[in-house]
Formats: sequence, C-alpha cells, structure tokens
Amino acid sequence: MTEVQVSPEVAGYTEVHRHPEPKSFIWKYIFSVDHKVIGIQYLLLAVVAVFVGMALSLLVRLRLIWPNESLPLLGDLFPVGAPGGVMTPEFYLAMLTMHGTVMVFMVLTTAPQGGFGNYFLPIQIGAADMAFPRLNMLSFWATFVSFMLLMAAFFVEGGAPMSGWTGYPPLSAVPEATVQGIGQDLWIASIAVFCIASLLAALNFIVTTLDLRAKGLTMMRLPLTCWTWFVTAILALLAFGVLLAAGVLLLMDRNAGTSFFVPGGLVVSDRQIDHSGGSPILWQHLFWFFGHPEVYIAILPGMGVTSHILSTFARKTVFGYKAMVYAVLAIGLLGFVVWGHHMFVSGMSPYSAFVFAILTMCIGVPSAIKTFNWIGTLWGGKIRFTSPMLYSIGFVSLFVTGGLSGIFLGQPTVDLYFHDTYFVVAHFHLIMGVAAIFGMFAGMTFWFPKMFGRMMDEGLSKIHFWTTFVGVYAIFGPMHYLGMLPHPRRYAEMSDVDYLLTTGAEGLQQFITVAAVLTILVQFLFLYNFVRGIFAGKECREENPWEATTLEWAVPSPPPHDNFAGKVPHVYRGAYDFSLQGAKRDFAMQCNDDKAVYGDQPGSGD
Amino acid sequence: MATSQGAATSTVPATLTPADAPPGIEGGGDFVTLPPVREGGWEGPSGEDRIVQRYKLGVWVGMGGILMFFAALTSAMIVRQGLSGDWLPFSLPPVLYVSTAVLVLSSFTIERARKELLQSNPDALRRWVNVSACLGLAFLACQLLGWQALSGRGIYLASNPASSFYYLLTAGHGAHLLGGIAALGYIWARVRGSRPWPTRVAAVEATALYWHFLDVLWIYILGLLLFWR
Ligand code: HEM
Ligand SMILES: [Cu+2]
Repeated sequence: MTEVQVSPEVAGYTEVHRHPEPKSFIWKYIFSVDHKVIGIQYLLLAVVAVFVGMALSLLVRLRLIWPNESLPLLGDLFPVGAPGGVMTPEFYLAMLTMHGTVMVFMVLTTAPQGGFGNYFLPIQIGAADMAFPRLNMLSFWATFVSFMLLMAAFFVEGGAPMSGWTGYPPLSAVPEATVQGIGQDLWIASIAVFCIASLLAALNFIVTTLDLRAKGLTMMRLPLTCWTWFVTAILALLAFGVLLAAGVLLLMDRNAGTSFFVPGGLVVSDRQIDHSGGSPILWQHLFWFFGHPEVYIAILPGMGVTSHILSTFARKTVFGYKAMVYAVLAIGLLGFVVWGHHMFVSGMSPYSAFVFAILTMCIGVPSAIKTFNWIGTLWGGKIRFTSPMLYSIGFVSLFVTGGLSGIFLGQPTVDLYFHDTYFVVAHFHLIMGVAAIFGMFAGMTFWFPKMFGRMMDEGLSKIHFWTTFVGVYAIFGPMHYLGMLPHPRRYAEMSDVDYLLTTGAEGLQQFITVAAVLTILVQFLFLYNFVRGIFAGKECREENPWEATTLEWAVPSPPPHDNFAGKVPHVYRGAYDFSLQGAKRDFAMQCNDDKAVYGDQPGSGD
Repeated sequence: MATSQGAATSTVPATLTPADAPPGIEGGGDFVTLPPVREGGWEGPSGEDRIVQRYKLGVWVGMGGILMFFAALTSAMIVRQGLSGDWLPFSLPPVLYVSTAVLVLSSFTIERARKELLQSNPDALRRWVNVSACLGLAFLACQLLGWQALSGRGIYLASNPASSFYYLLTAGHGAHLLGGIAALGYIWARVRGSRPWPTRVAAVEATALYWHFLDVLWIYILGLLLFWR
C-alpha cells in the first residue's frame, strides 16, 4: 500500500500502532473486522430489508382497498396465503407483522447506528477502528443470522407470524390460536439473536466513544452525531436485555408449557388451553419497557445527523450545542419511564396512567428544545440547499408533525379513543418511520462522497426528495383523519362497516394506496442513484467537498485502511466552528489549530 | 497552512510496546493507571497501554446489559408471583450451598491467578487459571445436581411458575458462566504465546472482573430464590 499523506488540514497528530491490511477477499470484504466494511455491510443489509419491507407494505395496502379481488401473480406466489390471488385475512396479518418487524428491527435499528455509526464514529473521533473490532464483526454476522431467521418464517408451514411487531400474547404465545407452525418461533428466535447482536454492538460503541477519542477531543467537543450514537448505544444496552428476557419467556410459553403470559381458562376454538395464571399484560410491560427506548434508538441518530448537516449547510454553529447534548441525554433518560403510554387501555390504574402521561409530556420538552435549536441553527444562516440539507429539513418537518400527534396520544382520555386506530399509525410512521428514513437519506447523500469517492447525482436526489416528501405526507396525513372516524388499525377488511361507508374512509384508503404505490416507485429512483453513484457517479476525490469541519473530512475519500494511516490528528476546537470572525475561511476544522484558522497573529480572531 | 508536526509524539512508553519478556510488577503496574489528564482536556488514548482500561471498561459496560436481563426476569418473577394464586413455593435443593461455596472460592483463585500474572509467573498463572476453571465447572455440575434433585421431587420447568423461574434464572446464570470458562480457556492457551504483554494483562483483568461479577450475580439470584418464594 502506498504511504498516505497526512491532510494539510492536520495541525498536529499522534502516531499510533498500525494494523496490517488483510489481503484475501474473504477477510477483507466478508469477515472483515474493519469498521468501514462492517458499516457498509450493515447498510446493504438495511437496503435489502427496506425493499422487503416496502413490498410487504404494498401487499397490505392492496388488500385494504381490494379485499376480495383476485390479484395477478399472487395466487401463484402464495398458494396458501392468497388462494386464487385473494389474500386471506391471516395472510394480511402476517404481511403486516413482517412489515413492522423488518422495518423496525432490520432497517431503523441497523442502518443509522450499525451502518453510519459504525462507519463514521471511529473516524469522527480520530480512531483507527472500533474498540473491539472482532466483536464488531460478530455483531454484524449475528444481525445477519437474525435477518435470515426472520425471512425463514415466510417459508415454513403455517407461514409467517401474525401477532404484530409487538408480538402480543396470547396470540403469539398459544400456537393453537393462530393455527401456525414454527413461524412465530422463528420470529422470537430472530428477535433474540438480534438482541444479542445489538447488545454486543452497544458495548462496542460505548467503549469506543469513551476510550478512543483523539487527543483534545473532549466529550463537549464531540460532533452531535457521535453524541447521538453514544446515547443510542446506552439505550440499546439497557433495553435489549429486557426484550431478550421477554423473548425467552415467550418461547418457553410456546414450547415448554410454562405460563408466564398465558392466562388461565383461555379457550381457543372450543378448546381449553392448558395454561394457567399468566398475564398478557406482563408481556406488554416488558415489551414496552424495551419498545419506547427502541423508538428513540431509531430516531436519535437521525437527530444527530440532522443537527450536523443543518449546521454545515447553514454555515453556522449549532444553536445551543450544550442544550442539544443535554436534550439528547434527557430524552434518553426519560425514554425509560414513559412505556406505560402504550398501555393506557390495558386496564391500568388511572393513577399510573396519570403518572405516565405527565412523564410523557415531560419528554416533549427536550424534543421541543431540539426543534427550536434546529430552527435557531437555520435562522439567519447562509443556507446551501444541497440534497442532504433538504433531507434534514424534511426530517425536522416530519419530526414536528409526528410529535404533535404524540401530544394527543399522551393524554390517557384522548388515547382511549385513539388507541389502535389509524391515528397511531400516522403518528409513528411520520415520527419514527419516515423521519428516521429521512435521516438516513440525509446521511447517505452527505457521506456518500466520503464512502465511495464519488457523488450521487444532486438533481436526482432533489427530485427524489420532493416527491418522497410530498408522498409521505399524502400517505400518512389522511391517516390522522381515518383515525378520528375512528378507523381501527390491523383489520384486514372494513368494507361493510356502516360508519366508515358514510364518512369517505373508502375513498381515502384508495387515495392512500395510490400515494403509497407512487412513493414506493420513487424509491427505485434513489436506489438507482445510489447504485449508479457507486460505480459511475461523478468522481470526487477531494477530502472535503462540503467544506465541513469534522475529522472524517480530513482523510482521503474513501478513507484508507486504519483511517488515518497511523497518524491520528489532534483536535483543537469544537465540532461546529463556522463563520468565525477574523478567520481566513468560513469554517475551521477540528484539526486546525488557531494558527491555521486565523493566520499568524494569535488572538486576532477574538 | 499549518502543518507543524511538533506535537507528534508517541506516548507509548518504550518498555511496554512489544516487550515479550513480561516486565516485573514495577513496570507492569504502570499501565493499569489512567494517563494523566492535563488542563487542555482529553489526552487521547495512548496506544497499547490503554488496552487494559479498554477491556475492563468493556466488562463494566457489559455488566449493565446483563444486569438489565436479570432485572427483567426479576421483575417478571415478582409480578408473576403476585398475579394469580398458583405460586407454589418449594425448598431449594441443599446442593446450592455447595455450589455457592465453590463459586466464591473460585473468585479467590482467580485473584491469585491475577497476582501471579502481575508478578509475571506464567506457569503459576496457568495453574491457577486451571484451578478456577475447574471450580467453575464444579459449580455448574452442582447446579445440574440441583436440577436433578428438583426433578426427582417431581418439580419440573413447567410445573409451576416458581419452578419455571428457578430453572430459568439458574440456566441464565450458568450460560454466562460458560462464557467465563471459555475466557479462562483462552487465557490458558494464550498466556505463553507471543502476544504483547498488555494484551495478556487485559485478558486476565477483564476475565477476573467478569468472574467476580458472576459471583455476585449468583449470590443475588440465590437470595432472590431464597427470600422471594
Ligand atoms: C412528543 C413526543 C411523543 C409523545 C408524547 C408520544 C406519545 C405516544 C403515545 C401515547 C403512543 C401510544 C398510542 C397508542 O397506542 O394508543 C405512541 C405510540 C407510538 N409512538 Fe410516540 N410519542 C412521542 C414521540 C415518539 C417518537 C420520537 C417516536 C419514534 C421515533 C415515537 C414512536 C411511536 C411508535 C412506534 C408508536 C406505536 C407503537 C405501536 O403501537 O405499534 N413516538 N406515542
Ligand atoms: Cu412510546
């Protein structure tokens, strides 16, 4: 390998031990311990998963508007689930369950953290790799196995599970209840392996952030991306162990005759189930104790990327950096005490509901701080409307829209009405699903030149942004109204329900499906842009095409093995020094010392 | 553009980097302490010598995750017990006290192994690692005997929620201990090799920490099974 030059931006550095680069294909690209390769592996996994998830959502949408019509091809593809091309209600539920599980676990939990976090956390903190590279490889491959287990559920007798991504018992715990084979067991196994993978990854992220930062990089100089990856890892560490425990209990209920979650006296299809004394509510508590932090695991990295990109393209420092850090910490902390807001209708005591409601409102405060600071960052900035910037602004919009409906849902009295309606579907898709995915679009377009040494096409990205932005509002906006009717969620068919017939629900559902089909089609434009970018995008070997400040922009594109080729830059300043007074340029990189920034007269910048 | 490399210094003490011959305790003690932090802020990781901190930090963080797993089981157990009138307490098999004693003893032998390492006695280290691993296996054997005793009394996994949690908690702990034994095996195999000295210290320190944690965790589980019947 040729010797890599230190970037001229680097004012001082430490020499560190170098690791030899593996030579063979297998060790370099498959069982690689290089965090960059692993990051891309995670991203590819997520890309495959997101298209699987989208295909499933398409089936769901089609069944909703054509419950009894025969659809071409389906009958051949799924002779059991869709005999003659007509999807059975069970098939609908199975597709819905798999859609939710694939999206939440295999997309929203892998790409932002395992993908971008893996690739850029070490570079942004000036490290050669993660703290435990082999553990990192293990995390990815365990995630891969988990994905395979989940996919296997499609192909077993009885088909995929249908108890929802939340796996509520007794449906999930009593095999007789769904006339299913091992689909549900595979689901639990997949989730369990995923938990272990995520726990190992979380450990790695935490130690890396605490222990591998370059000289001068104090915690309060960390890029906000790193802060969110760090806090996400803490949430994952504390949440996934609980889901793992719950999964083990559920698996035993299904297969070993225990009764943790199955109540006594349960009768399914005229048969008394041989369990006694358990409680489905216990599962709900365990699941949501994990589930609420999980939604923040999905969104926090997107918040970090958004803060990072807004600042970079507004050419302004992040408004209230410290407040942003404390807000992320507060969200992480409060995220563990609000799980009850998913269970207002489970028969919980109104006093508990009251406490959960108050705590839920509290979490709105740091969320609002973040939003105001994003707007503050944009305010008066010299905004460059690049595609990553557009996606980030889109993120803010979606986060606000989704957050507002959260405030309604957080009121127990209001939630009695809204629970299990399309209002909830609208809420969580906007705030978790789409906002997080916009965070990924932003990250992808922003870091693409660094990862591949080429650019994605700006024009295509912008077309994709506008169509997707309008598309997702067209899909999820009307769902608020559906929820108010109230149109319940998770029902395969509502075509004979009187109050829905007179309120225009049917027409809206058709509109939503059309919007969904179009929006899904547009995603192929992004895929095309992405694949084309890798192989034939405009070449961009510049270190720092966006004139950004953090360390990844002080290494070649793509970064060499070991990132800094044995020379770790020192850090002299915070992560968002834009438009400094008296500076020679409108940005100062973290590795620039004062002399580099202000020239030879020290102090002239004050 | 400033390209001064004045600050380019290697902070790795020369005695520590490849040193195949294990340094004595004076030299070896150095890298167990954190590098000094000057007022300029974070001094950055300083190479191989920090690997001991890194591994120990990893174990501390890992403990957080494992604790949450057992905390979830504990809360499920407490809730399940208060839920319906079907909880049937049973007396614990006495062999559990033997296993407890064995595990506590193994914590001491691990400490001994650690001491041998710091005094650079690889052979004695391997001996004590062996002893500890055997004690670990003996502990697991006792746990199996406990299961056998219970099933002899007709108390199985699915008999009752009380027994379900008994089997689950002991199995969960045992699985983690198997990991500890595997780590001891790794040390036993690697301690004489050509690995850099700090890497070996890191492996031993981290394993010892993990082992003590499992010790304390077991005592907690025993207490839970004893007093929350
Ligand atoms: C202002 C902050 C928020 C409040 C007050 C809030 C409130 C709520 C409430 C009360 C529910 C339960 C509704 C029901 O099932 O009846 C809910 C559901 C949900 N929320 Fe939020 N939320 C907030 C932010 C978020 C964020 C940031 C995310 C994700 C990034 C999120 C993701 C979800 C998801 C996925 C569900 C539905 C889960 C399901 O039932 O399948 N929420 N939210
Ligand atoms: Cu929640």
